[in-house]
Amino acid sequence: MSTNEMAAEAKAASKVYGHGETAVHALRGVDVGFEKGKFTAIMGPSGSGKSTLMHCMAGLDRLTGGEVFIGDTALTTLNDKQLTELRRNRVGFIFQAYNLVPTLNARENITLPMDLGGRDIDTAWVDEVISTVGLADRVTHRPNELSGGQQQRVAVARALASKPEIVYGDEPTGNLDSRTSAEILEFMRAAVDELGQTIVMVTHDPRGASYADRVLFLADGEIVHELESPDADLIYDTIRNLGDGGPVLGDHD
Amino acid sequence: MLKLVRRGIVANLGRLILTLISVTLGVAFVSGSFVLADSLRAIFNQVSEDAFAGVDAQIQAVEPELNSGQNLVRFDGSLVDEIAALDEVEYAEGGLFVFEQTYTQDADGEIVRPQGPPVFSGSWGGPSPASAFTLLEGEAPVGQQIAVDEAQATAGGFSIGDMITVTIPIGEPEQFELSGLIDFGEGGTGGAFFILYDLPTMQRVLAIDGNLVDSIIVTASPGTDTDDLLAAIQTKLPDGLEVLSSEEVIADQQEQFGTIIDIFGNVLLGFAIVVLFVSIFIIYNTFAILVGQRTKQLGLLRSIGASGAQIRAMVLIEAVIIGVAASIVGLFGGVGVAWLLKQLFSTGGGSFPDGPLRILPRTIVVVVVVGLLVTLLSAILPAIRASRVSPLEAVRDGGQRERSMRFRILAGGAVLVPGLMALLFGMFGDIEGTAPRLASIGIGAALTFLGVAMLSALFAGQAASVLGLPAEAVKGITGRLARDNASRNPQRTAATATALMIGLALITGVAVLTESLLRTFDEVLEESITADLFVFEEAQGLPFSSVVVDQLGALPEVGEVTGFAPVEAKIDDNVESLSAYDTETGSSVVNIGVVDGAVEGPEGLGTDGIAVLAEKAETLGLEIGDTVSIELEDGFTTDLTVEAIYDEDTLVGAAFVVDRDLTSPHLNVDNVGFVGLTYAEGVDPEVGRAAVEQVTSNFAQLSVQDNTEFQQQTEDQVGQLQIVINGLLVLCLVVAFFGIVNTMALSILERIREIGLLRAVGTTRRQLRTAVRWEAVIVAVFGSLLGIAMGLLLGWAAVVAIPDTFISKVGIPWLSLVIYLLVGAVLGVIAAFFPATRAARMNVLDAIAYE
Repeated sequence: MSTNEMAAEAKAASKVYGHGETAVHALRGVDVGFEKGKFTAIMGPSGSGKSTLMHCMAGLDRLTGGEVFIGDTALTTLNDKQLTELRRNRVGFIFQAYNLVPTLNARENITLPMDLGGRDIDTAWVDEVISTVGLADRVTHRPNELSGGQQQRVAVARALASKPEIVYGDEPTGNLDSRTSAEILEFMRAAVDELGQTIVMVTHDPRGASYADRVLFLADGEIVHELESPDADLIYDTIRNLGDGGPVLGDHD
Repeated sequence: MLKLVRRGIVANLGRLILTLISVTLGVAFVSGSFVLADSLRAIFNQVSEDAFAGVDAQIQAVEPELNSGQNLVRFDGSLVDEIAALDEVEYAEGGLFVFEQTYTQDADGEIVRPQGPPVFSGSWGGPSPASAFTLLEGEAPVGQQIAVDEAQATAGGFSIGDMITVTIPIGEPEQFELSGLIDFGEGGTGGAFFILYDLPTMQRVLAIDGNLVDSIIVTASPGTDTDDLLAAIQTKLPDGLEVLSSEEVIADQQEQFGTIIDIFGNVLLGFAIVVLFVSIFIIYNTFAILVGQRTKQLGLLRSIGASGAQIRAMVLIEAVIIGVAASIVGLFGGVGVAWLLKQLFSTGGGSFPDGPLRILPRTIVVVVVVGLLVTLLSAILPAIRASRVSPLEAVRDGGQRERSMRFRILAGGAVLVPGLMALLFGMFGDIEGTAPRLASIGIGAALTFLGVAMLSALFAGQAASVLGLPAEAVKGITGRLARDNASRNPQRTAATATALMIGLALITGVAVLTESLLRTFDEVLEESITADLFVFEEAQGLPFSSVVVDQLGALPEVGEVTGFAPVEAKIDDNVESLSAYDTETGSSVVNIGVVDGAVEGPEGLGTDGIAVLAEKAETLGLEIGDTVSIELEDGFTTDLTVEAIYDEDTLVGAAFVVDRDLTSPHLNVDNVGFVGLTYAEGVDPEVGRAAVEQVTSNFAQLSVQDNTEFQQQTEDQVGQLQIVINGLLVLCLVVAFFGIVNTMALSILERIREIGLLRAVGTTRRQLRTAVRWEAVIVAVFGSLLGIAMGLLLGWAAVVAIPDTFISKVGIPWLSLVIYLLVGAVLGVIAAFFPATRAARMNVLDAIAYE
């Protein structure tokens, strides 16, 4: 794989918490790349390292070994300020909850990363994103005037509005009912298909993962399995097999 | 339960420590006021006891009913020999004692005097068991010799045997040989300087005609008890003299010192109460936020069976623990505060004697009780709120509920309206006297503060939003975040801002008052002074010999000269303060604003006329042509006709004016308070002034000033007073400052997720710090504006309440107001430093994984 096809890449990524006897290996030398224009889902039981992997690859957390890249940029060489600017300009985020600044209205939340960078805002693009997520009549509302689904749609719009190289989702539908979840996931799918966006999402919902082009399975800090464009049933089966038939899905860590 | 309290305190230690500081500062001020007053009292008591060690009795004149100069009344010194001859008496010594009358000069001819404390001159018979002075070195003074204290010798560069130039009240300076160095009692001179002569020399120097003394100290012969001694002395005493045991004299002195120290201590205590008042807002705010943040935990406790009363107790116990801890720290902090206050007053021109600082049991009790009460009082409302948390809150998601604004409006109004009424009543109400007026204003101010504090939550959000506009314009999105955060929780913004408001309101009020005072003074000077020069005693405005008036009058360069004497006399059997001056020439140096009749003319008021202040005339029902009786110090009585009514008493400082021709012959000491003069026609001011200064150079205590200098000096004095007052009020700002730090820190903990989100989507640490800093500035500026507005109101109220003769014009110190606003903003910046750094340091992952 050559790096220029990859939006983000991890090489021998390892992360250890603590020292000696009490050391916990969250990641044990993970090698993975996320292709441009693809929708990837990462699954795994609690403590499998899936969130750690995502945090490290997004520049939110630092590795203890190995290297991660966004495009050609090696994140371990960046200081805090450079990392912050990288997150602001080149990465988009969708969290499970608390995605929005409560004092700003929907549109202000969407343009927040660009405002922070003092960048000129591509108004036409922002409007397009807003109308695509179906929020045109809600842009002046504050988060507490929006439903949970609407709030997540604002979060998705924010993640896309700055045209980042890659969007990371940390259980973006974890707090939503199934119908709203489907809406959001369809929208993410559309962003990949129609806008060519790269999206990586951590999830424990097989139905959610089935929207992805590719599903990675993590256990004990290693990638243990991989599926291309699976349906939900296949994912269920895979989980059952990987987990020795026991329930392997827990809360995100 | 207690375990929960303990855990709660441990978990919130950082936040509670800031609260602790707020309480501690207030408590330390209370403690410091007591410690300083008690220590001073102890020192002065010791000084009195030292001074009278070895004295068994003292003979002095009975305090006369009328005593214009507050002088000790002198009597015939031949009594000393008669007393000494008694069998019961071992030793008797007559003494003369004055202050600010003679001074030593250093080699350059400069007067040697301490900053603040006075210079005493007195007679000394040499070392004896009864003497208050001890000889450290050399000999007691005899004839043309003096003895001085060590501090003075050091300041003047004097050694024993030196010939020293000494200025004396009347006549040319004289040369005296320094015979010895002395100390007063055992405990030092308390900063004052002493010049001691033998008795005949002292009498000569003071130009006293005959052998007069103002006291005789007596030591009993061995084995004589005090009662027998007093009885024996009593038989020898002429009318008008009394004998007191040393215990009585000491008690008398201690009482006099005590009264002054009490006033001083109470003033400090007043400031301390203001500081405590401010800290109540801070403590309340902290508890309110802590309870709000723990809503979920409280709900859980309720759902597993804790009663509302238990929850309430939990919060209150927390308050008690903080109160006790703060009291203990504050108690000892008080010693530091006492020390600081000593420094403050020293820079303000005063001076304190050295001595150990004392913590009396009373101080401990008061401090602990006050600390506890203040903390409990502040915690009551949050505790009640905590007890009302429903068990459902444990499962309900989301933050605090919006509380009803209606209660706030009702309660705030219920406090504000009576507050404003008290304020207005103090200003315009039918009240006799200035003190009750100001008291009414004080109560009104406290209530108004409370009312505004409660009601300001109604508009704090909008106000912060408007005040934040510049921040947003300058800083873009970070300014916007700051602006939104400052306005998102109006109650909190209001409580934080009002703490700052009180301090700034008082400082602004004082500034308005002093500005008004100076404006009024300027106007008075312009309108009522026609003199070219004034002569007065520099340090404390003490009276001086009227000989100066005669000497100045004899100068060809001087046109009209008038001495103004403060006189105590009985007018129609009431003791009153009068101003006696040379009324036939007085109008050329001062205009007292005669509204009816006249004081001038070839005779002036003469020996049969009196002028009355319009206000006084109205109270007494006096009109032109009415007759009043007057009794002077020596018992002389006569009838006077009211010849004029005047309304400008700022300069003469009395409600009655008579002519000096009437009073001079009947005063114990013919002194004047100040002298005003004009130059003779055609005399160059510089020449005239040089001639006047030639005369006054013999009176080292006197200062010569023209109108401009007089004005400048007054401004300097008022300015110094303002510095001291502001020095005390600054503590309010310090407490408010901690309040801002505390609130910001707590708010940031509350917003930990939001900060994590902001960091995740690309907010730099610097941007985060900027946002927090601007938020604090917005809150601080809001508080400062409220404070300045309240201060203007209070200052205006006080100006109205204070009689026009003191302050008649309202002056607004615009420049100061701008500075105060800037100070408020800077306080915000500094207060935000720690919370901002903390917010910026927050780990992004911790922040988003919080809970």
